[in-house]
Amino acid sequence: MEALWDGLREALRLIAHGDATLRAVALRTLVVSGVATLIAAFVGIPVGYWLARGRFRGRTLVLGLVNTGMGMPPVVVGLVVWLMLVRSGPFGDFELVYTKRGMVIAQVIIATPLVAGFAAAAFQSLPSELPDLLATLGASKFRTLWLLGREARIGLLVAFMAGFGGAISEVGASMVVGGNLQNSTRVLTTAIVTETSRGKNDVAIAYGIVLLAIAFAVNLIFTTLQQRSR
Amino acid sequence: MDVRFDEVLFRRGKRTVLDVPAMEFASGRVTALLGPNGSGKTTALRLIAGLERLHSGRVTVGGTEVRSAADAAPNVALAFQRAVMLRGSVRHNLDLALRFRDLDLTRRQVRIEAVSNACAFGHLLDREARSLSGGEGQRVNLGRALALQASVTLLDEPLAGFDAEARREMTLRLPGLLRQFGSTVIFVTHDRDEALRLAEDVVVLREGRVVAKGEAATIFAQPPDAETAAYFGYTVMRCGDRTTAIAPGGLRLGEGDVCFDVLVERVLSVSGVVEGVGSHAGAQILFRIDPSQLTPAPGDVAVVSSEARSVVRFS
Repeated sequence: MEALWDGLREALRLIAHGDATLRAVALRTLVVSGVATLIAAFVGIPVGYWLARGRFRGRTLVLGLVNTGMGMPPVVVGLVVWLMLVRSGPFGDFELVYTKRGMVIAQVIIATPLVAGFAAAAFQSLPSELPDLLATLGASKFRTLWLLGREARIGLLVAFMAGFGGAISEVGASMVVGGNLQNSTRVLTTAIVTETSRGKNDVAIAYGIVLLAIAFAVNLIFTTLQQRSR
Repeated sequence: MDVRFDEVLFRRGKRTVLDVPAMEFASGRVTALLGPNGSGKTTALRLIAGLERLHSGRVTVGGTEVRSAADAAPNVALAFQRAVMLRGSVRHNLDLALRFRDLDLTRRQVRIEAVSNACAFGHLLDREARSLSGGEGQRVNLGRALALQASVTLLDEPLAGFDAEARREMTLRLPGLLRQFGSTVIFVTHDRDEALRLAEDVVVLREGRVVAKGEAATIFAQPPDAETAAYFGYTVMRCGDRTTAIAPGGLRLGEGDVCFDVLVERVLSVSGVVEGVGSHAGAQILFRIDPSQLTPAPGDVAVVSSEARSVVRFS
């Protein structure tokens, strides 16, 4: 219990003094997970629409795979992405392993099934005649997706928050693909692991509090947007 | 614009939903699509609107083949059976529909005012569309399709969802609305009286096939078969191998040349008058027995004759 209070005190001290390392790690975390979530939303929302509205052979199988992907262990994703990006791997020439871009790729793979699964549920909850109505009015496919997205925006914001939550909270993939390099690929989750292994529990708790604060702030913004949409 | 079906075959799984070698909806006419549930009426509308893909054959609107909703959209408006609204006010919903027709703001506003007054929902224009009651929503749903003033207007059960009073009112209002905003109108209904009041032509579908088509008054006066007659509300009676259909309200008491079989249940003798109680097609029949004839016993099939008007006979 004492360690926890020490941690809280240390966290407040680091935050109050604007610790440069903490600021850099927090900013890197926000950028990596934010970009990964945006890409996941860009891919996952149309995929969710396609899964919700499409009538094709094997749709249930694909939906089952996406739902399985929603619970994919990040460390396994990290391992597969690392094998793909490592120099001897098929995408080794791009030199993405141990970079922030490599971490973004891993987080996109983690967040996309989450966004797609929740988006599919959001689109499926709309009246089935709505896409047909827009089609008979002459809406293009992009405009239909846009208008249906507006109708399903409460569910889509949940999808976005789930994707961001999945990306920012994972540690295994960032550790394996990013390598947890100081001043380069260390993010809040990997920093917590490092500081704990060093015995610096107070610093680890400080990173943990900042991680929770970022997650809370981002989710609060989207929850506010979501509730305004009601 | 006219609408034509040529060698149309549409299946859902292994079931044939629509099999129509030829069908035409004449330009400028109001046609009712009649038929029992599952007869393919709504599918026919969806094919015209380009919302379903044909297995073979073609559907044309004004000579242009419809392969997708994008082909049909410039000329076709469809009011779905269920009133589906987007977020926002009723005005926003109508305006959005008209924006797809590339009308400028002034013309959109004029169109919205005209249709909302004609359909009697002007007071609802600034209400949240998704908070409307069933009848109000249906009124707006109908108005949205009419506001487009499309060359072909498709209405899927336009009077479903109204209460009895509103239904009566809309039945009176609709002919004027269709004249004002519609051109070629095709509407689906289950209601024979609704079809008679609103339609110039009717097409009767059964199990995906056209069983009758032509002018409404003619088809209703001369149904092509006993099943269609029963669907129109005729009393269909069988006597041996002959089938007779009597128009609603056409059966009269008294002796006549319409005969039908009655399964005798009881025979009563009151003050020298012998009467029988029996049933025909589920209806209970009370009949008088001629004392000069053999008195039937319960379980016998007796031939009863009666007077009737508006009779159609099928061999």
